[in-house]
Amino acid sequence: MSHSAPGSNPVAALRHDLRTPVNHIVGYTEMLLEDLEGPEHAGQREALEDTLAAARDALRAITLVLAPTRDAVEPGELEGLYARLEEPQRRITDVVQTLLAAAGEAPTPTFVDDLHKIAAAAARLVPTHGPATRAAPTTPTDSTAGTAQVLVVDDEEGNREILQRRLEREGYAVVTAAGGHEALALVAQNPVDLVLLDVMMPDLDGLAVLERLKADTVTRDIPVIMISALDDLGAIASCIEAGAVDYLPKPFEPVILRARLAASLAEKRFRDQEKDLVRALGVVTAAATAVEAGAYKGGQLGDLAQRNDAVGRLARVMDRMATEVGERESRLRARLDDLKSEIGVARQTGDFSVAQGDDRLKSGETFAARYTIEAVLGRGGMGTVYRARDTELGDVVAIKTLRPEMVADEDSRERFKDEIRLTRRITHRNVVRTHHFGEWDGLWYLTMEYVEGITARELLDSRGTLAVEPVLAIGTQLAQSLVVAHQTGVIHRDIKPQNLLLDADGVLKVMDFGVARLAESTARHTQAGMIVGTPTYMSPEQLTGEEVDARTDLYAVGVVLYEFLTGQLPLTAPTVMALFAKVLSEEPQRPGTLVEGVPAGLDELIMHLLAKRPEDRPASAAILLERLQALA
Amino acid sequence: MARILLVEDNEMNRDMLSRRLQRKGFEIEMAVDGKSGVEMGRAGKYDLILMDMSLPEIDGWEATRQLRAAAETADVPIIALTAHAMAGDREKALEAGCNDYDTKPIELDRLLGKMAALLGNEGADS
Repeated sequence: MSHSAPGSNPVAALRHDLRTPVNHIVGYTEMLLEDLEGPEHAGQREALEDTLAAARDALRAITLVLAPTRDAVEPGELEGLYARLEEPQRRITDVVQTLLAAAGEAPTPTFVDDLHKIAAAAARLVPTHGPATRAAPTTPTDSTAGTAQVLVVDDEEGNREILQRRLEREGYAVVTAAGGHEALALVAQNPVDLVLLDVMMPDLDGLAVLERLKADTVTRDIPVIMISALDDLGAIASCIEAGAVDYLPKPFEPVILRARLAASLAEKRFRDQEKDLVRALGVVTAAATAVEAGAYKGGQLGDLAQRNDAVGRLARVMDRMATEVGERESRLRARLDDLKSEIGVARQTGDFSVAQGDDRLKSGETFAARYTIEAVLGRGGMGTVYRARDTELGDVVAIKTLRPEMVADEDSRERFKDEIRLTRRITHRNVVRTHHFGEWDGLWYLTMEYVEGITARELLDSRGTLAVEPVLAIGTQLAQSLVVAHQTGVIHRDIKPQNLLLDADGVLKVMDFGVARLAESTARHTQAGMIVGTPTYMSPEQLTGEEVDARTDLYAVGVVLYEFLTGQLPLTAPTVMALFAKVLSEEPQRPGTLVEGVPAGLDELIMHLLAKRPEDRPASAAILLERLQALA
Repeated sequence: MARILLVEDNEMNRDMLSRRLQRKGFEIEMAVDGKSGVEMGRAGKYDLILMDMSLPEIDGWEATRQLRAAAETADVPIIALTAHAMAGDREKALEAGCNDYDTKPIELDRLLGKMAALLGNEGADS
């Protein structure tokens, strides 16, 4: 609104800025008076005459204090002038209110508009919100002011005083410094919310102070408003380049002072909130990292979780989830520890020596020009498993030789190769890795990862039954292996304790992924209806030779868990045919009715796994895993 | 009836002064910055131009110089309206080509006197 040309006299500028609204009041009032002719408007004319008189009073006060002969004015004088303008301002405002209230049907089309213009001009006369707010210090309920602390730096005592008084009236806490060094010392001790900094100061000037504030990471975000004379544009530009948020021309205009202060503080509050948010997110992120590393302690987010904002909610959710994850992990560790000790006991007490047999390969023999046979690990329906040293890689491997009849025909071998190729893509700590399928001297064989440990069969035979926790450790690892295998597209088809290896650390590894397929297809080729593998662990649909999917493995898991818990199979019969019939139609007894201490959830889960129809079982290994992990 | 071009960026000043001058019988057209002031000044045939000196785009001083340099407006009387009296403003205004100057806030009677002096017989009511 003011056209204060640079280089002009500040008293003249202020005089102009104050006279302009007076002039507007006079102009519009005179126009209204011209419009309101006739006796019926006598009352309105009288009121408007009072407005003119009030405007003239204001003009006299302005001309007196801001006389054209002056080029400077004391801060106290300005305060006095504003106080003197309040009375005419109130008179004018009262007239406008009265006329507007009594207007009824407006006497001229512009009547109401012009009255509003007069009111707007009157509002600009005294640069505050009005007499009411000036009468008493603003209470700090105003969030703009709050208890924000402002440092006033000015070498002129008068300026410091007037700013301090005015700011305190607005509800700010004010500290003052008479020079740059004092200001820097103060800020170092007490990072205020805002600095009002005079440009022209002896010793260390405003720009130098500003530059030091901006160079320090602690103080660089404190907004700094420069105080300067209007003709100091060059200095103001330098300060803004150096990071000042704004400048305040002398003499101070309270409205501008208030507006710039409030704007700068609001901006700082946003920045502080932003910084606080970033810091808080950093803490939450660190907690997330700790969760991943297993180092998170419940309640670690303490203060943050108390906050009543989005970060607080995030922290609470994070803390709850992390605590749950932590508890779950420690539960899993405890289960694993139980399993480990069971394995340890079994290994000490059990006899796992493999009886002498008529094996194709002998210890010490070199096989396939690469492997030195060391021992027989076991014999099964498909062939013999040896421990051997891979002389090329210096590694110990397991070699499974396949009975000649299983790989007799070309088609079976090709299908098996496909299956092995797929199986090799499964990389998981709970799955025995398959290396190679080949033929040597007429003997087909598979090489696999060698696992030092015992089979779940051996553990069962040695321990009879296991308690709930180690059974859950087996079930969880078994489910994990199936999750990745099924995702890869491989169904095991022959999950049974003999195929589950357990090492000394309690880690379970499932072997023979893909192998059952070979036996199946061979069986179909040779003797239709022949049952391959181990009927006791087979799902009804697998027994009847139907197409199977991943859920056949889930049935087998049910049988394995049942057996570990109770020491017996869900269904038994003296003959295979009788077993067949039972598997197809008979409900097994709930494990919880056979042994004590089976949690209801586990009891239910096992029965769910043993459902006759695949669609009645858990839909996937992932769901099985989830349910096992959720079991307390 | 004299045609006046008022070049003024402040809305309330523009509104008030134009209305008051219309009431005195002048025909008023308005421009809101120096650039359009020059364009309108050259395009329309005005009897007098009231030129605020603090304008956006190009200021009143420069606008006056341009109007003076243009043949069609070289002789149109221009009254400079300056924000506040400064020693030398009067000289500066005359130097830029203004015929007279007045300070803001405008006192209508004083301004009307200066306008009448420049318009001569072409005054508002003549």
